[in-house]
Amino acid sequence: MFKKSALLVGMMFVPFATSAAEVPITGTVESRCIIQTDSAGTFGNPNAYTLTTKPADGGEPAIVRYDITLADSYYAEITPPTAFSSAPALPDVVTWVGSVEVSTVSDATGMGTYETDKVELGDTDRYDMTATGSTWFKISSTATMGGEKAFAGGTYTAVAEAVCIAK
Amino acid sequence: MKMLKYFIVGIMLALPVQAHEMVPTYPRLEISHMDGLLKATMKMFNKRADVEYYEVGVFDKDLNPIPFVTAYNVFKLEYLGHVTFDIYIRASDRYRAVYVCSRSKIRKDGNTKTAIASKICSKFRND
Repeated sequence: MFKKSALLVGMMFVPFATSAAEVPITGTVESRCIIQTDSAGTFGNPNAYTLTTKPADGGEPAIVRYDITLADSYYAEITPPTAFSSAPALPDVVTWVGSVEVSTVSDATGMGTYETDKVELGDTDRYDMTATGSTWFKISSTATMGGEKAFAGGTYTAVAEAVCIAK
Repeated sequence: MKMLKYFIVGIMLALPVQAHEMVPTYPRLEISHMDGLLKATMKMFNKRADVEYYEVGVFDKDLNPIPFVTAYNVFKLEYLGHVTFDIYIRASDRYRAVYVCSRSKIRKDGNTKTAIASKICSKFRND
């Protein structure tokens, strides 16, 4: 009687034993630089001849975030817009003023000097990404039409470039 | 004050973001199955919902373009899509080729705004 019960209990476990299978999920972690666009930015139009990303004038600066997983291996090079990529016909020459600045860092100790140590290469600002973690950069831009002529009605788009270059 | 900073960083990390990434950071050029050509394999991940196309290029140390071959110089990569692609360069360009870069292609649309073109450059290993 005992033998029969033991056999029955044993058989009950067989399906569980045979159906169990391992499903491995594998992944590789590689050092990398990731560029994240938190905000693409918007132009405000405070007067007829100015387009600007200044919040006080109805604009919004672009925000990009760099995630770095390998210290001292990358440069961040950021260039504010220097021309419109699409626009209606322009009646005069447009003057561009742009700036880039570090807005937030995830490691104040390792990244605290990013802004003061940046190198300006023409319109481009180069940052030496010496620490791991995240850095947010704010890109501001103002376009002014020559002779205070009015921007024609229509859609204007200007492209800022965010580059991450391996050292 | 420190807690507030961590809180702000935490909130910003939690916000939806648009990301562009390419690995490896230091690809190795290897001998390919074709005479006189070297090959490197790259992987890309598109987490930018606003970008569907990426352009690949190979450059020297001054970012001047160098001839290369890949399946498509400009390729479509859907949002959250992965792609693995091979880059072929001439063996004679082995030491001239320094960077392989991918750049997002921005689409024209109907808003008055700025747009971000993201570009990631990996550096060929020289060992």
